[in-house]
Amino acid sequence: METEHTMGGITRRALLQVTGTLGLSSLVVVVLGRLRAAGAQGNPANLVPEEPVDATMKRLFAGRPIKDGSGVIKLDAPLIAENGAVVPVTIEVDAPMTAQSYVKTIYVISDKNRRPMNVKFALTPAMGQAYVGTNLRLGESTDVRAVVELSDGSLLQAKREVKVTVGGCGG
Amino acid sequence: MADVGRVRIRLPSTIKAGEIVKARVLVIHPMEIVQRKDGKVVDKNYLFINRVVVSYLDREIAQFETTQSISENPFFTFAFKATDPGVLRVAFLDTHGGKYEGTADVKLS
Repeated sequence: METEHTMGGITRRALLQVTGTLGLSSLVVVVLGRLRAAGAQGNPANLVPEEPVDATMKRLFAGRPIKDGSGVIKLDAPLIAENGAVVPVTIEVDAPMTAQSYVKTIYVISDKNRRPMNVKFALTPAMGQAYVGTNLRLGESTDVRAVVELSDGSLLQAKREVKVTVGGCGG
Repeated sequence: MADVGRVRIRLPSTIKAGEIVKARVLVIHPMEIVQRKDGKVVDKNYLFINRVVVSYLDREIAQFETTQSISENPFFTFAFKATDPGVLRVAFLDTHGGKYEGTADVKLS
């Protein structure tokens, strides 16, 4: 289980800033053998930032209009998740997957997670159908959203509330 | 964690040509945010799968950007169109340069 809350009055943000440098240097020592030149892959500085969901939405979609997609997006998630560490979600979009028009990206965003963007599925017409799923870690009860981007750039969203009894982030 | 990196891909036993098939894939991986030594946090290790690349018939058909919010032993399911017999390849990359790959033969009946 991971501990991610404040420790002794120090906020996690401050702790991260302090240990960031330490963490990086020990990373180099420990994983020198495995760290490839692909810096972007392993560089903690490139991690998705901790931020409120409004900042995530702004960062990802920069104010583009997001239409209600509940008519075409089937977002399956449990009403109540007994174990926040493993919450299965599936997303199916009732839309064509042809070269002319297809579901390009599906974002899964959990509003109350410290890093709301959980996963970004980038698809191609070869999928045949826009259907994806995974298991999420949810820190607390939250809205889980699927934001769908079509090949023409339009955005659709569906969301549902998932109640979490035991948080999956070390709570 | 001797099993870390083992990839499992499950496909239906019979697949017809042109059928849209749901694949289920999993990789054994701790998806660790912090490293623990004797129960104490020693480092913010950030060792987790952050990219999944799906290829079929040697062509990349999907890519997932993943985060620490994916459960341990990350599991994914996705649909793809089984047009021809060939190899479905799924590669999982983690934040420390680890790359774990698995393949499954798509056989058409």
